[in-house]
Amino acid sequence: MEKTETIAENARAGFEPRIVAFVCNWCTYAGADLAGTSRLQYAPNVRILKLPCTGRIDPLLVLKAFEGGADAVLVSGCHPGDCHYTSGNYHARRRWSVFGKLLAFAGIDGRRLYFSWVSAAEGQKFADLINSITKEVRSAGPFDPVNPARRRT
Amino acid sequence: MSIVDAIRADAAGLLQTGRAKLVLGYRNRQGRRAPILLADAAGADQLVYDAECRQNLAAYLRKPEVRQQFPVAVVAGPPVMRSLVMLSAESQIPAGAVTVLAVGENEYHGALDLAATAQLLREKYADPAPDEELLRRVREVAAMSEEERAAFWTEQFSKCTRCHACRSACPGCYCQWCISKRNVPQWISTADLSHGTFAWNITRAFHHAGRCTLCGACEAACPQGLPLMLLNACVAECVEKEFGHRTGYDLEEKPLIGSWRPEDDDGFVR
Repeated sequence: MEKTETIAENARAGFEPRIVAFVCNWCTYAGADLAGTSRLQYAPNVRILKLPCTGRIDPLLVLKAFEGGADAVLVSGCHPGDCHYTSGNYHARRRWSVFGKLLAFAGIDGRRLYFSWVSAAEGQKFADLINSITKEVRSAGPFDPVNPARRRT
Repeated sequence: MSIVDAIRADAAGLLQTGRAKLVLGYRNRQGRRAPILLADAAGADQLVYDAECRQNLAAYLRKPEVRQQFPVAVVAGPPVMRSLVMLSAESQIPAGAVTVLAVGENEYHGALDLAATAQLLREKYADPAPDEELLRRVREVAAMSEEERAAFWTEQFSKCTRCHACRSACPGCYCQWCISKRNVPQWISTADLSHGTFAWNITRAFHHAGRCTLCGACEAACPQGLPLMLLNACVAECVEKEFGHRTGYDLEEKPLIGSWRPEDDDGFVR
């Protein structure tokens, strides 16, 4: 497990990534829950939003997150074959495959948008995932100045 | 008989025999090509066809005024034919409602039903010549850094007035309630700010994944000259590469985003 960074340490560095995680109720949320009940520490930069299924996660939710100033977005759900609703994650996978490439073409590249499968048993994987994403976003820097989707008044 | 004469003869024949109650075609209007909806065989000599007939007439098939007149006939070049096949595959045209007056490259293929149109497309127009200039521009944008790309699109989208001409011109935009019209919740902001414009243009391009036939009607309709075909080409390339999906060649094709295969690409998932 990577070293967990605390808010105090990072405040000194000046930039705290804001990462929005859209996760499914059945696998990744349970995985995050397991990370918590197992007392695994992970970077506090992630805001977790629970939805019924990755199949429910509309690309517009991701755009809304970027509008609101997210530095990165994570979408995570059940492993292929494990979906509580049989095929929601297969639908999501196809959708994200296209949407990710379109967003990259429009100026929101792979350092800002992440996809993962985390099962209910993978608390450690969830903690490692959040730590590694936080590290990558930190090195990519704040998204706000260039974010083409950002709400600006 | 010239191509135009053949179209006129077929259109008149269809209207006279009642196989079509309406013919959608092109006419001359002060030297420019405009659409015409013919209900009377006597007007068939107004029909014209040439390389300037680029408006996608399949977009009219979502209009209730036109749908009440089914069966109709549509004068169609290869991109419009692909749009018609796509609409049928997505259950937007009832069986037998559309006859295609199929115009190819320097050739007229006669009045076809949609099955014959799909077969014609597969046999003769399966490999449309790639638009080299468009591909070059796509490469150019793809080669930019993230910051440059974001700046490029921010500048392009800043011209957008959200008039939705791109939506009106596109046969694939057949939703009665477009997501951009919804205001509870308001997914796409209507404020005169950049984020709603970004959301609209990206959502429009994404909703056409597996549906866009690269006819170019949206870009041609845009009064602000946004390079919408860059986004469409990016999506079309991804869709073909990842899923082997080419729009408008198969009446039985499942909608790309509404279907899946267990072996779909997993490479982008951590």
